[in-house]
Amino acid sequence: MKKELNQGIVSVILGPVVDVKFETRMPAIHEKVLVQVSDDVFVTLEVMSHTPPSTARCIALEPTEGLSRGMKAFGTGHPISVPVGEAVLGRVMNVLGEPIDGKGEIKSETHRAIHRRAPEFYEQKSAAQIMETGIKAIDLMAPYLRGGKIGLFGGAGVGKTVLIMELIHNVAKEHGGYSIFTGVGERSREGYEMIQDMTESGVIDKTALVFGQMNEPPGSRMRTALTGLTVAEYFRDEMNKDVLLFIDNIYRYIQAGSEVSALLGRLPSAVGYQPTLATELGALEERIATTKHGSITSIQAVYVPADDLTDPAPVAIFSHLDATTVLSRKIVEQGIYPAVDPLQSTSRILEKSILGQEHYNIARGVQSTLQRYEALSDIISILGMDELSEEDKALVNRARKIQRFLSQPLFVAAGFTGLEGRYVPLKTTLECFSAILKGEADRYPESAFYMVGDLDEVKEKAFD
Amino acid sequence: MTDGAPVIEITSATELGEAEKKRIEKVFAAKHSGQKPNFVYKIDKAILGGILVVDGDKFYDGTLRSQIDKFDNGFILSQKFVDAATASKSVKAKKPRRGKSTFGKPARVRVSVSENATAEDIRKSVDEELNKSVADYRKSFDVRHAGSIVFCGDGVIKANGLSDAEYGEMLQIENGAQAIVLSLEEDGVGAIALDDVDNVSAHMLVKTTGMIVSVPVGEKLLGRVINPLGKPIDGLGEFEADRYRPIEAPAPPINDRDKVNTPLLTGLLAVDSMIPIGRGQRELIIGDRQTGKTSLAVDAIINQKGKGVACVYVAIGQKSSTVSTIVNTLTEHGAMDYTVVVCATAHDSAPLQYIAPYAGCAVAEEFMYSGKDVLIVYDDLSKHAVAYRAMSLLLKRPPGREAYPGDIFYLHSRLLERAAKLKKELGGGSMTALPIVETLAGDISAYIPTNIISITDGQIYLESDLFNAGTRPAINVGLSVSRVGSSAQGSAMKKVSGKLRLDLSQYRELEVFAQFGADLDDVTAKKLEHGKRISEILKQDVHRPMEIEHQVVLLYLATKDMLSSFPVARVTEFKDRFIKYFDINYASVVAQIKEKGEITMDASIKIEEAVNAFSAYFLKVGGDEKPR
Repeated sequence: MKKELNQGIVSVILGPVVDVKFETRMPAIHEKVLVQVSDDVFVTLEVMSHTPPSTARCIALEPTEGLSRGMKAFGTGHPISVPVGEAVLGRVMNVLGEPIDGKGEIKSETHRAIHRRAPEFYEQKSAAQIMETGIKAIDLMAPYLRGGKIGLFGGAGVGKTVLIMELIHNVAKEHGGYSIFTGVGERSREGYEMIQDMTESGVIDKTALVFGQMNEPPGSRMRTALTGLTVAEYFRDEMNKDVLLFIDNIYRYIQAGSEVSALLGRLPSAVGYQPTLATELGALEERIATTKHGSITSIQAVYVPADDLTDPAPVAIFSHLDATTVLSRKIVEQGIYPAVDPLQSTSRILEKSILGQEHYNIARGVQSTLQRYEALSDIISILGMDELSEEDKALVNRARKIQRFLSQPLFVAAGFTGLEGRYVPLKTTLECFSAILKGEADRYPESAFYMVGDLDEVKEKAFD
Repeated sequence: MTDGAPVIEITSATELGEAEKKRIEKVFAAKHSGQKPNFVYKIDKAILGGILVVDGDKFYDGTLRSQIDKFDNGFILSQKFVDAATASKSVKAKKPRRGKSTFGKPARVRVSVSENATAEDIRKSVDEELNKSVADYRKSFDVRHAGSIVFCGDGVIKANGLSDAEYGEMLQIENGAQAIVLSLEEDGVGAIALDDVDNVSAHMLVKTTGMIVSVPVGEKLLGRVINPLGKPIDGLGEFEADRYRPIEAPAPPINDRDKVNTPLLTGLLAVDSMIPIGRGQRELIIGDRQTGKTSLAVDAIINQKGKGVACVYVAIGQKSSTVSTIVNTLTEHGAMDYTVVVCATAHDSAPLQYIAPYAGCAVAEEFMYSGKDVLIVYDDLSKHAVAYRAMSLLLKRPPGREAYPGDIFYLHSRLLERAAKLKKELGGGSMTALPIVETLAGDISAYIPTNIISITDGQIYLESDLFNAGTRPAINVGLSVSRVGSSAQGSAMKKVSGKLRLDLSQYRELEVFAQFGADLDDVTAKKLEHGKRISEILKQDVHRPMEIEHQVVLLYLATKDMLSSFPVARVTEFKDRFIKYFDINYASVVAQIKEKGEITMDASIKIEEAVNAFSAYFLKVGGDEKPR
């Protein structure tokens, strides 16, 4: 520690919120403050606000059990900064940039503060190139774009994490560049499995992992996303790389903020969220951008609390994204995985001018068929199938086949479904759906369309 | 200090001499630079000897009475520190570190415990240390901070003073009640009282204890029913615990974990085949009231008999009679021998209900960290959430969705994350958690249910429609998943269960669609018939767990479509009788499946042979008699 230490005294502890009194100099907002618990044990805080005359209100990034008033605290003079650059590849760290993989210190000469400004307006570059994922439902209905921001929305247990792992499997491997995986407020078990899977497949050498899982205090979960993002930004800005940034789960970032909001003395806003929800999210999302230097393609899982897509948090997140994949419980109930809702998922690039006439027509065709089926299903439930016109009957049968054909065995779920995963190239996807729409697959039974890759497999299954 | 000179109160057992008084006054005057304190002397025989000095909120306790008390408590206390330090080796041991307080120090025993020390080793070294510390045990001052209650009501306490209180520390109130510190403010602390709430009143004295809330743990608890503070409530007398553990502990970090790879068999065919649970997994049991949630969990506990798995059943906010029925059921099935019941009933205070699952988790953790497998059932977390909501609102924390506080997710996530499978270096123990959540009118997507679903590794969804229709366990296969269990499934089971889950959920969907009178193609019609029989096979009575080898045989029949010759109505009857028949006549095959964990060519031929022999008879005579 330096000589002219900026020393304060802990005065109030309210769970994860700690007040520290500084007599000489107030630490800046976002400055890192350390509370000395014993000779060599410190608890890290971050300054959130100043209260006159001399109190800095901080959030703790580590558990506060065992802290007491009167403990010494030190302003460090700088914000939390984490190691960046190639030294972090293949490593796992926590919100403070400390290694948690038991492989010793992360030897990086460069550190960066986790709080930064978003790239300036003139640096922005917009993207409009499709990124193939090999997942039929996504590539067809809500294609992802390189350098874009993608959200996977879903309630609890509809398969967000499985899908994000599948995307890592399909995209990160092909990608060739660097990937950053940020686990925010999710299961520790998943973190463990992620590391194992990546180690086995070798992807880990090109990947940096940051974890602040759900057992961590809110302060940690609030800042983990920033830590991961900071690592990604460095690759983009200083090394001019195109990076993939996975965040599972961005909702937990907002949730952590709402956990401490009241304790920080703010009045609650709608549904008890923090009043600063939009700005907090904006500060993070605007930094995830593609610039003239390089690009960040981000895939963010978004938890939808109580399956309510109108909850303030998912609503705020929606507006930041270029493509959204909505996973729905209704589809899970039908046993269709991935449970992508083809009518609710959208993409900014689902336009003729970007994807071409063919893709556009097929996607819209599938959409309208499913929409029509949904409208008819009420009639069916009252009057029965027999009352439908021949044309509608054919449409219903086709729609049910499309629904099933949108399912697909996933590589990462092979142990679970007992089926080997399938990577379906975009070209094949388009051909298959086009054929179904034209009625060329009408002769195969419905069940043959379930959990397969392409039409050849349907045929095989049908003749089995 | 506020207005006027500070008052220092000195209590002794006998009148102090002038010289002694002078010496004491000199020491304490030095602590108050500037103002000269007023000294007040009191005599109290109850302290036996020594002196007690009260200066502001500080108690300098040098009485003989407290030394004797402390010697008893100090031993336990110091053991807790040992536990805290060894609980998770990769976690920074933050305790002990109360440098400025000497409470408990003379008797504090510091023992360094090696990685694989047994309880006996620890006991030995503690004894040695204790002998040493007895030699050092001379009179010493015990500085404890105290305060007085300025507000109490609804179990919430505010007290002034207590300047050394730690966040999460246990407080001792004059009337014997205990409270947990939940907020430390500039002019005092906020706490919640755990017991004896009605007898707490304003101006009562509160002292810090230097302890975080802990419960007794270890083998001695097996077969007992305790409350969340570790006191036995089963009327079988006190027990002497080997060890104590703090109820709040960090979850095993990512690097301490191992892959879930051993099955935890529940004895329920539907669960073990389609929603398999692995040791170290968290699987939610969710459903409306009266759909068999508790029965399912109790069945899982009963099935652990002889499998080397310790069980902990945590009852939260239930009525006492329900818990007593469960304990009776467990006793009847001989399951109490390896089970601990932690119980906070509906009449216990909200704070006590709030700490119950954490206390149960601490009990389970002891087994896990000693390398054992343990199953813990939280029954149920919706009531836990309600208790926490009550507490939070009383503490004036702002309400969010459904009036739950903002940190309701963290409440359950930090609890359930403590269940894990540990890596071999840490003993390889595991904690499997089966939390239970009650839904209202089948609304699985309500706030608390979805919160917990997003924490657990899957859920078993019980539906009242199915329950009433006679499908018991009333598992909705489409909405039930297990995200890790299948990797822990045995190969025999894996082979027969295969796509069972997907088939069945497709069947349920087809069933609905078929009602609309659509023309069914042959394949679909066949699927429906097949699905009906699978559904029948999966029905099972409560408290009748089935061995894995029997499960495998039945599923083999179902998947090979060997049941199509029976009418659906007779499948249940067939299944029970066939298993008995098979057990008697093909004991060697049963043993082989159990031993090898797979169905060999030979075994499958034998099964087919048995079915043919038995079914001919079964169909002819109506199955009233056993064929020879």
